Amino acid sequence: MSRAIWKGPFVDGYLLKKADASRASGRSETIKIWSRRSTILPQFVGLNFGVYNGQKHVPVHVSEDMVGHKFGEFAPTRTYYGHAADKKSKRR
Amino acid sequence: MRRVRRPPYPFPAEPERIMTDRVLIARIGAPHGVRGEVRLFAFGEDPGALRDYALTDESGRRTFRIAALRAAKDHFVARLKDVDDRNTAEALTNTDLYVSRADLPPAEDEDTFYHADLIGLAVDDPAGARLGTVTAMHDFGAGDILEFAPTEGGTSRLVPFTKAAVPVVDLAGRRLVVDLPPEIEAREGEGDSESGED
Repeated sequence: MSRAIWKGPFVDGYLLKKADASRASGRSETIKIWSRRSTILPQFVGLNFGVYNGQKHVPVHVSEDMVGHKFGEFAPTRTYYGHAADKKSKRR
Repeated sequence: MRRVRRPPYPFPAEPERIMTDRVLIARIGAPHGVRGEVRLFAFGEDPGALRDYALTDESGRRTFRIAALRAAKDHFVARLKDVDDRNTAEALTNTDLYVSRADLPPAEDEDTFYHADLIGLAVDDPAGARLGTVTAMHDFGAGDILEFAPTEGGTSRLVPFTKAAVPVVDLAGRRLVVDLPPEIEAREGEGDSESGED
């Protein structure tokens, strides 16, 4: 059963405060969080988070497309090492 | 009984050891049918590109060419040149197929890198001190991530693969520079929940 709309999206309050403080400071720091259950809100766009996956903090750069998802979706708890093969990565 | 979900065969559970001159690109599975076709597990971005590569086995002595390739449920079915019967195909089961690194097309721009080139590079901090060695590259949906094993041991570190965090990638020098971004912690107890439990 999905969450009632009248409640609004769930987000841990301390996370919201930390994100606001980080945005106000203007520094490009990583906010280490353990709250995988929190919803990504529009005010998080552009910030860098380190989402705990049970072992370490996975870097998550929040973009517009991620709004409405939970932080935990971007930090899998089971590491899967595929083969490098001919895969490529672009440095942003 | 609880079902354990496993990644489909034959994905590795540990970081891959990369050979710099050759890249593991596919693996031959069991024979398919009686006309010499084989199951093929492709690891690359574009399985169709396998037709263009000159493939070799692990020793590099035997070469393979793919004559035909089609998709099946969780793998591909390939017909290899000079493999016309099931017995010959059966002998190739579990053969790893490699491609020469030089045969891979050049990267699109100077900020695009093959994982095979990055894995194994030394990781230095901006002052030049050795931090570790690159073990894997990931993309969990929020940008590319570089994983490196620290020199002193312990849990591996994850760094966003950005120009700010990885300002220098020196493939010729077999090293890259990681400028670890500053971190702050947001822990429970520093404020109240915005709404109730979900």
